[in-house]
Amino acid sequence: MATATTQHLLLSPAELAYLHSTLSLTPPIRPDGRLATQFRPLTAETGILPGTYGSARVCFADGTEAIVGVKADVEKTRRTRISPEGQNGRRQRRKRQIGDDVGGGEEEEEEEEEEESAIVGENDWVEMTVEILGHRDDDNSTVFLAAMLSEALLSDGELTKKLWINRRFHWKLYIDIILISPPLSYPLPLLSLTTHLALLSTRLPRLKSEADEDPMFDDDWAASQPIYPSSRASSSSRPPITLLVMAIGENIIFDPSKEELAVADSVLAVSVVEAAVAATTTTTTDDGDVDVDMEDDRKTRRRNLRLLSVRTVDPPSRLTAPGVPNAVNAAAWGQAPPGASAKDPGVETEDVEGVWRPPRGGAKMAVLSAMVQKVLEKGGIADEVLDGLDGVELE
Amino acid sequence: MADRRRVNGPVGQTIPPIYDTPPPKFAANQKSQDAIRKIFLKTGVTPSASGSAYLELENPSSSTGRSSTSLKLTCTVHGPRSLPRSAPFSPHIILTTHVKYAPFATRQRRGYLRDSSERDLGVHLETALRGAIIADRWPKSGVDIIVTIIEGDQDRNAPENQADDGWDMMNVLGGCITVASAAIADAGIDCVDTVAGGVAALVVRDEKSQPTIVLDPAVAEYHKVFAACCVAYLPVRDEVTNIWFKGQLPDADGMLYAKLVEQSLIACRNASRVVIKALEDTVHPGQDTS
Repeated sequence: MATATTQHLLLSPAELAYLHSTLSLTPPIRPDGRLATQFRPLTAETGILPGTYGSARVCFADGTEAIVGVKADVEKTRRTRISPEGQNGRRQRRKRQIGDDVGGGEEEEEEEEEEESAIVGENDWVEMTVEILGHRDDDNSTVFLAAMLSEALLSDGELTKKLWINRRFHWKLYIDIILISPPLSYPLPLLSLTTHLALLSTRLPRLKSEADEDPMFDDDWAASQPIYPSSRASSSSRPPITLLVMAIGENIIFDPSKEELAVADSVLAVSVVEAAVAATTTTTTDDGDVDVDMEDDRKTRRRNLRLLSVRTVDPPSRLTAPGVPNAVNAAAWGQAPPGASAKDPGVETEDVEGVWRPPRGGAKMAVLSAMVQKVLEKGGIADEVLDGLDGVELE
Repeated sequence: MADRRRVNGPVGQTIPPIYDTPPPKFAANQKSQDAIRKIFLKTGVTPSASGSAYLELENPSSSTGRSSTSLKLTCTVHGPRSLPRSAPFSPHIILTTHVKYAPFATRQRRGYLRDSSERDLGVHLETALRGAIIADRWPKSGVDIIVTIIEGDQDRNAPENQADDGWDMMNVLGGCITVASAAIADAGIDCVDTVAGGVAALVVRDEKSQPTIVLDPAVAEYHKVFAACCVAYLPVRDEVTNIWFKGQLPDADGMLYAKLVEQSLIACRNASRVVIKALEDTVHPGQDTS
């Protein structure tokens, strides 16, 4: 439920009606003067916490601020699988891999050839906690946020593959997200962007031991390796980002503030990831050009965005109080129609222009599809956000 | 002298037996791709609640007569009832949803406290229902919707050590939405429409076949699930109250996503017919309305 995370907003029905009507105009007029696809300005820095393996802090212009710290432990892999000797064991492990990592098509073939490359991640190697000041950590909305963020992170199975050390050990990654300001707006985009930066800055010690020995690490931190290598040419994936999109009528508005959310017809959280470059070489023919562009000018490079997850967020507008039209309001000298006076007064009235009614029912499929389409659009808002995040210096 | 009154368990850890060759997966029965599994839905099963419903979803395997997966849900609705005096004023009905797996519902035992996946399902269910209920007809009142999952939609024959991949949660959510919708109607709470849940997924049947989109996937029967989508749909208004998509799609543009959503709407319409039939049976018991 969105109410617990967005601070309860005291807007009168008249204010809500005004907001709704300005946001339904074409183009929509937003209270803070942004364009419909404009993100709020933000400041970001990474590597702020020396005690962690990677960290980031993002501060939105409205004063909401989040810190993410990533810590890692070496953990013994549970030996629940059948020993890899023999064909049966191998088939069994294959099955597990198929269950665990979604879309690791190339990985399977590699495993057929060589035991060594059997890198299989498990989803419980990553633990994500979200803490929002003033909210219980088992609060439904907090759980929903954590589920949404970890779903995006785990669904391509790339991150857990990076945590594999050898057949007996793996890294366990703890991602702790703290919203240090009161939640002035729905904090999902903020938390997602902070997590993205923290993961980009995360480095793990270099492994010195070989094969299935007990792991030994290089104690020189300068030699540590980032889990998301920055070189674009390699087939490395990037962490996902989750964007909040809302619709009012036909208008699609990105990164809504709390006032805008209070009148939203529908709200979607869309997670996208930038697809690895290597994976795209087979799909597009003009990939050579893309590579050239990449060296020339990073701005013009088109990204290949993949959809990871879509979730509806319950719009807080459903919980707002309705306005009373003058026609049935005795305080405004409204004359109820003579027939209606005997009935329960003013409970169900027709929609009146300029009188706020909380949205009822769902959203049209066309609107929801357009929202997702707009996120995936090349050169759209997701590109812009990723460009902005690329500009953040990694420690 | 050792304690002879008690039969003590083994001292160390034990693991369940693991078979060298796990039993073969039941081949996906030749259910056509655009049909959903048969749904049994009955309302009014819990007399003490103001509304209740039971839903069962099973696919009998054609070869052995046994089924490998099954989904059994029961839902009770308590309310609408007045809020306690200490609660602040609310112009709407306060909707509370609890989704709880029975401890024995899945391969891995669930505790009695709700874990994060159950809370997550609860939030999804709440979003799906909030759009359907006409909330402003009950100011200052609350309603509790409690869904208990008696059997989650998991492979009964899978080895104990097989990891959960969470695709069955989609089916569970779809079932939760459908059963809660029937129970709300049974409780007599005004809704704009009977909301129904439906699932579609992009799957491959075996290692060689091409990915196809199927309705209402029995996850255990497929080799691999790429992506799945669960939608809560109001058929008469043609509106969607909740959408949950996750997974990886092979294409870059949203074509496949749009197709997946479109297919889950078909599953929703099928489920909606079952809900309406079950409600007609409640209103006119004994009559064969079909």
